[in-house]
Amino acid sequence: MICVQARRLFGACWDDEITQAERESLEAHFAACASCREEYDAYSRALELLTTLPRVEPAPDLVERALARSRRTAPAPDRVGARAVPWVPVTATAALVAVAFTLVSPWLMTRNSPIALRPGITQAPVAQPELRQPSDLAGAPSKTAVPGARGASLSRPGVAADPLAAVPDSLFDHSEDVEFVLDPMTLHRGRPANVRVGGSVQGQQATITF
Amino acid sequence: MARVAVDDERAFAELVRRFQGRVTNLISRVLNDRECADDLAQEVFVRVFVHRRNYRHGAKLSTWVFTIAANLAKNEIRRRVRRRNWFSLDALQELLSDSAIQLADPTEGREVTLEREQLQGAVGRAIATVPEKYRLALVLRDIEGLAYEEIATVLGIPGGTVRSRINRARSMLKRKLQPLLGRAGTS
Repeated sequence: MICVQARRLFGACWDDEITQAERESLEAHFAACASCREEYDAYSRALELLTTLPRVEPAPDLVERALARSRRTAPAPDRVGARAVPWVPVTATAALVAVAFTLVSPWLMTRNSPIALRPGITQAPVAQPELRQPSDLAGAPSKTAVPGARGASLSRPGVAADPLAAVPDSLFDHSEDVEFVLDPMTLHRGRPANVRVGGSVQGQQATITF
Repeated sequence: MARVAVDDERAFAELVRRFQGRVTNLISRVLNDRECADDLAQEVFVRVFVHRRNYRHGAKLSTWVFTIAANLAKNEIRRRVRRRNWFSLDALQELLSDSAIQLADPTEGREVTLEREQLQGAVGRAIATVPEKYRLALVLRDIEGLAYEEIATVLGIPGGTVRSRINRARSMLKRKLQPLLGRAGTS
């Protein structure tokens, strides 16, 4: 062992962190090298001086002062905080809901629509109301009035004339039992023009904009 | 610490009593300033209280408290360097140099009666002249007796760096104390 190697081991030797082989080698070097021996002695005495330093005693009122100041001080916010929202499951669920809605919505729309029935499903025949006669408008109940209809549901026993019965039937909402059938027709842009359809029917072409 | 985190005042007082000696000693040895050590020790415990909910359960409590103390001591050293630098650039260079400041004569300007007290005062001043980054590691290891791994956690540096800093600090201290070693050996 040379002097440089020996002096590198001073710290580990002082901390008692060297192996037995290293210690023996160092001792052998000290026996042969007085300079390194003196260096290690000085090193050891310097560090021993540190251990002889008296402990600095804390101020007697340190606990009370620390408590008093701590009471006046608000705690710092928790840096760890609440658990973050797991965005991946939330996003996946939202995507699934969106896909499911997309798949189901056409079925829901066709089910509610009175005009487009799915093949194989027959619609119960709806009794078409007859045209009311002028006498109906005077308060006589319609021959086609069905129990549970709007006018009937509002009628009370003992009341002879239902006030709603006088309202023209066309003012009621018939969206559920009226079919809209679009005849094929040709719409042209431009000014309205008279169009002859078939032989005797004549009308004015209209442009409908939604 | 779990009780301190839920605002248990008695637990906090117990924590202060448990660590006040080591914290005051650490700061006092690093700064070589008893009065300032008392104030900074109080500040350490206030910060422990303020940040009590940020303490990671499972971490060693003493390491956490020492980390706060070491950071406050470092801040104080830097504040003093800045203040000294305001008046004298030479003073800053002297402070940062590990060899520029020579150990003062322990009897010079001081009326001390016991040689032991002189020696201790001289050792304290010698420690205070070691550059900050070496000084903290030295005090934590050779005065407070922390393990190298704990010092690495407290200072936030790798274990190898801790060892090299401590070795360097010890060598510096030996050089500074060389004139006193004969006296120390005879006393």
